[in-house]
Order: sequence, then structure tokens, then C-alpha cells
Amino acid sequence: MKKDKIINRRDFIQTGIRTGIGAGLGIIGFGLISRSVEGKTIWQLDPAKCVQCGNCATECVLQASAVKCIHVTDMCGYCDLCSGFFRPGALELTTGAENKLCPTGAIVRTYVEEPYFEYRIIEELCNGCGKCVQNCGAFGNGSLQLQVRQDLCVNCNQCAIARSCPAEAYSRVEPETAYLLKGFEELKITD
Amino acid sequence: MQQSIKHIKERYIHLTTIIIGCCIFLFWLFYNPVHNFTEAVPGLDNRPPRSSSLGSEVIIGEHFTFFGNAPDPSLTGRWPNFRGADFDNIAKDNVELIDSWPATGPEIMWEKDLGEGHAGVAIYEGRVYVLDYDERKERDILRCFSLVDGTELWRRGYSVPVKRNHGMSRTIPAVDGEFVLTMGPRCHVMCCDATSGEFLWGMDLVKDQKAEEPLWYTGQCPIIDNGVAVLAIGGNALLMGIDCTTGEIVWQTPNPDSLRMSHSSVVPMTIAGKKMYVYNALGGLCGVSAEESDKGKILWTIKDFTPNVIVPSPVYVGDNRIFVTAGYGAGSALVQINKSGGSFSARTLQIYKPSEGMASEQQTPLFKDGHVFNIQTKDAGTTRNQFVCCNPDDFRNILWTSSTTERFGLGPYIIADDKFYIMNDEGELTIARFSTSTFEVLDKAQVIEGDDSWAPMAIADGRLIFRDSKKMVCVDMRANE
Ligand code: SF4
Ligand code: SF4
Ligand code: SF4
Repeated sequence: MKKDKIINRRDFIQTGIRTGIGAGLGIIGFGLISRSVEGKTIWQLDPAKCVQCGNCATECVLQASAVKCIHVTDMCGYCDLCSGFFRPGALELTTGAENKLCPTGAIVRTYVEEPYFEYRIIEELCNGCGKCVQNCGAFGNGSLQLQVRQDLCVNCNQCAIARSCPAEAYSRVEPETAYLLKGFEELKITD
Repeated sequence: MQQSIKHIKERYIHLTTIIIGCCIFLFWLFYNPVHNFTEAVPGLDNRPPRSSSLGSEVIIGEHFTFFGNAPDPSLTGRWPNFRGADFDNIAKDNVELIDSWPATGPEIMWEKDLGEGHAGVAIYEGRVYVLDYDERKERDILRCFSLVDGTELWRRGYSVPVKRNHGMSRTIPAVDGEFVLTMGPRCHVMCCDATSGEFLWGMDLVKDQKAEEPLWYTGQCPIIDNGVAVLAIGGNALLMGIDCTTGEIVWQTPNPDSLRMSHSSVVPMTIAGKKMYVYNALGGLCGVSAEESDKGKILWTIKDFTPNVIVPSPVYVGDNRIFVTAGYGAGSALVQINKSGGSFSARTLQIYKPSEGMASEQQTPLFKDGHVFNIQTKDAGTTRNQFVCCNPDDFRNILWTSSTTERFGLGPYIIADDKFYIMNDEGELTIARFSTSTFEVLDKAQVIEGDDSWAPMAIADGRLIFRDSKKMVCVDMRANE
């Protein structure tokens, strides 16, 4: 015989509180989920505005900045003398440290065939300092560009770099246009 | 007894401490915290040893096609080589030119498709010469057109592989009415009869003279001085004179400092009463006698300003001074030439980085009325890409700029009929009033659609010829037509 359950006042209050917390979390969770799926925006910098001030390397909340150099290979001249790879006035066009511009050795150069060389960025080594970007823009085709890597960025409410960017290059963008690469309109890469 | 046990214990403690200390020391000594670092040493890019071989033999002048048609004999204007007859980029034929573009836009007389590149034209009495590259047939081709309507008169060329490396064609021919002389991207020199296109002689500077082809191919424009081809080699010889009729080397300058070929061209100048060829080689700037008595003799060399890429040519800026400039962060230098007794010496008066004064990456600055005019490099700070003016007494002091709203790029600029004609990178041509005191735009128009309109312009008989990377255009600039 089934025993009728008698709900006392304490149980009633406890159940009520649990239900309330559960419902609250549910509402917050739903809100968060819907925010992250629908109107979510993420931080990105516009390379056309960036003046390579160096803040991208130092201001990010992450230890190694979420900003990295991206190589838009379609724009690259594959030159022997790459102004993003070699420091100005390099004595020889070799991979010797004394000739290289990148302070962390994040750019790898590989011979393809006369007169072409391929340049690749090792992202784990890049700290987003923008030195290569600056020289490639000044003397080359501008194929090296800084971008916030969306797989690394924790999407701070207020991006710490954006706060200090002198060029006002940062803005929130839609996930569909997660990367803003200069020069090639059709390159709308999503993460 | 207890005492001795305590003693032994203490000894053990000391011994253990010493052993642990030694272990820590040895670990510190032998552990390499950067053992997984890769040393950045030469050779990691797998570049093979440089080879001067082009695979197959180049037979200079082997291909010829004649199309016929003589040009209009009434055309007498000349722009016979890079930077015009006086190597200063100033037209002096007193043809009155337009101050503003017609309401209907620039009056295009004719246009021609060309192989991708930056080769400009030379003009001689109705004939237009351009050293083009035919990518499909893999040939350098010297093409001769009529200035009147762009009809092609003949073409002479040779098979040579040139891969796209910021375009393919580069240089401007030299023509003196009798001969036309070209320098191919891969350092092949060809001399032909300027009227008929008959092949006279050729020389492979890499194979025959041990020259080193510069990065991105050579940009050196050859010159003809009194029937002699004057070439910078930077190999067995520094400079060389070759008889245009016979192809024989008539003089050569030794190269004791192993200076190398740059993209700069040889410029004849008269300094301290002496005619000389001034050349800005990789490794140093030099002056070589151009006078019969000691032709080819090195008069002076200076190695204070040695960028690893040099494109602009030296500019004479008065009072026995030469201005040299280069891009890629190099900047510029002002050099004073002194004559004492029969010998010459050079001294640097100014040397600076591009953000500190006038500097150019590709085009050679203009010198007129005691002032120098130039488009600043991209790394020139606030004056970046602006057209600027300096007094040659102090190149760090920019007298005026075209303002932040008037920026240009790597495009060419000339002076004609007391006006500046300045092309930007995207084919917009600005007409500005010539002045040493201010920059005044008269008009501007899009004159060609394509990219990289960088080739030096040429003007003769009121016809201005310019190009972008793939097309050449002739525009009628005459005011009274
Ligand atoms: S902070 Fe702004 S200007 Fe500075 S490197 Fe980053 S994006 Fe460029
Ligand atoms: S120079 Fe700076 S931005 Fe460029 S690859 Fe190296 S670390 Fe990254
Ligand atoms: S949002 Fe945060 S993590 Fe992302 S780039 Fe800005 S500071 Fe770095």
C-alpha cells in the first residue's frame, strides 16, 4: 500500500529554493547560450588601420598574445629579399640570426625554385610584435598582417589591446567575418 | 659512546649534504635549458648554390619580325634614354602642354598591351622603343612603334627564361638615331640598327663578363655616349665601353673593390670641369672618367653609403655634389667631389635614414632651379608618399610637401613645360605647377586603369607615354591641338 507523502514546511521551503535556483540557472544558461550563438561578436583588428605600434604583443591578457602574424600568401611576391624576413641592411640573404628581423624566429623561409622562397609563420613562436608586418608593408606587398587568432582569444568583455590601440583598429565583428585581411576582399575567413 | 654516535651522524649529514650539493651543481653545470632550441644559422632554407646558368644558350637577336610602315617625318622630338636626353627627366623641347585635363578626359592617342613589367620607353623622332617580355614565347623583345598611331614597325628578340618576379620587363632602351641598345632583365645586352632593327651585336654580361644578376633582375638602363655603349658590369670590369658598330670593347674600368651591379644606371656628369660617368654600385659610389685622354679610369670611389638594394640613379645637385638615395630602410647621402691637382676625392656631407630627410625607393629625384624634388618612401614618417622639395644644402630640411591629402607612391614624375606630371601607383596622373616654393595641383585624372604604374614616363612632340604593369598608353598633352 502506497504511503501518502506528507510535505512538511522545511521540505517545501527547500524544494522551493532548489526549484528557484534551478530555474534561475536555466534562465541564465539559456540567456548565455542564446547570446553566444546568435548576436555574438568577437574582437578583431583591421590591418588597414594598424600602425604596428607593438601594443598587440604587450597588452593582451594572455601571456603570449592572442594576436599573431598571418601570411596572406596570395599577395606574397615569394621574393628572395623578403623585407618581412630580413632586417633592413642585412649583410647576407641567409637564415643566419644576424640577418633576420623576427625577434622570436617565428618566420621560416624555404627555397622553392629560383627565384622564389616560401615564408611560413610558426604561430606558437609569434608574439604579435608586428615588426615583420611593418617592414613587409613598407617595402613589400603587405602580405604579412596582424590578426587576433579567434582560437586563442578569450574574447574579453573589453579587449585590453583595444583599450590601448592608438590607431583604433579594434572593433567587435560578427563571427562570419572573424578575420579582416587587407587586400583581398574575397578572403572572408570564419573561424 | 653517545658522543661518537652523534659524531658519526653529523658526518653522515655533512657527507649527504655535500653529495646532494655536488649533484645539484653538476646538474646545473651540465643541464642545457635550451637544448631544444634550433640555432638560426645560414642554410636552413635549403637554398642550393647560386648558378648563373639559364639552362639553354641564349642567342641574342635571333628572332626578328618586320611589320613595315615608316613613322611621320614631321616628328622630331627625342627622349632617347632613361630620364631623357640630359638624364634629368626634364623635357626641353618647348612644346606648350595642357594645364588641365579636357572635360572629356585625357586624349588617348593609342594604347598597347605589353608583357607584365615595368619597362619604360625611349622615343626618337617618331619611333618608340620598348624592351618587352613575351611570357608565352619566353622572349625578351625589343619592339619599335610609330609615335603617331602606335603601329608596330618591327620587333627583335631572343629566347630567355624570365619568371614573374614583380613583373618581368624592367629597363628603358637607349637610342641615338643610328643605334638602339637594350639591357634585358637577365643582363643580356643587344644592339640593333635603330631604323631597320638589324641585329648588330649582343653580350651576356653574366656569362661573358662575370656580372651578378641583381635581385628581381636588373633595372640598369644602358646609355650610348658618342656611338659607344656605356654599361655597368660589376664583374670582371666595373664599367665598360663597347663600340656600337662593331661590338668591340673599347675601354674598361678595373673593379678592384669588387663592386656589384645595382638597379641604378650610369649617369654622365661634369664635375669640377671633368666629364665622368657616375655609378652607384652595390658596395660603393664611383666616378669614372668619360674623357678621351683617360676614359675608363676610376677617378674616385666612396663606400660610406652601401645599401643592399639600390634603384634610383645618382643626381647631380650643383656645386660638385651628388645626391644618392635608396629604399628598404637605407635613406640617402650627399657626397662632395673635390679636385686637387689632377686627382679627385669624395667626402660624405650628409647621410641619414628615410625618416630624417629626403629619400626615394624607386624613382630618381628631380633637380631644377637649385632645388630637388622627390616622392618620399613609405617609411619616411609623416611625409610618407608625399611629393617634397629640398634645397641641396640640407636634405634633412624638407622645405615643403604636397600635404597629407596629396600622397603618391612608387610612380614616376617628370617636369615638362614648367609643370610637374606625377603618376601614382594606380594610374592617376596629377598636373602641378612647377615651383620651388609651394605645391599647387592644377588638375588630376585617371589615365590608366591597372596596377603598378611605376615605369618612368617619356615625352616627345607633346605625346606623353606611360604604362601600368600590362598596358602602355600614349596621351596627347599638347595645349594647342
Ligand atoms: S595596438 Fe593597434 S596599432 Fe598597435 S599593433 Fe595592435 S592593432 Fe596595430
Ligand atoms: S616579427 Fe613579430 S609579428 Fe612577425 S612573426 Fe615575428 S613575432 Fe610574429
Ligand atoms: S579580447 Fe582579450 S584575449 Fe582577445 S586579443 Fe583582446 S585582450 Fe587578448
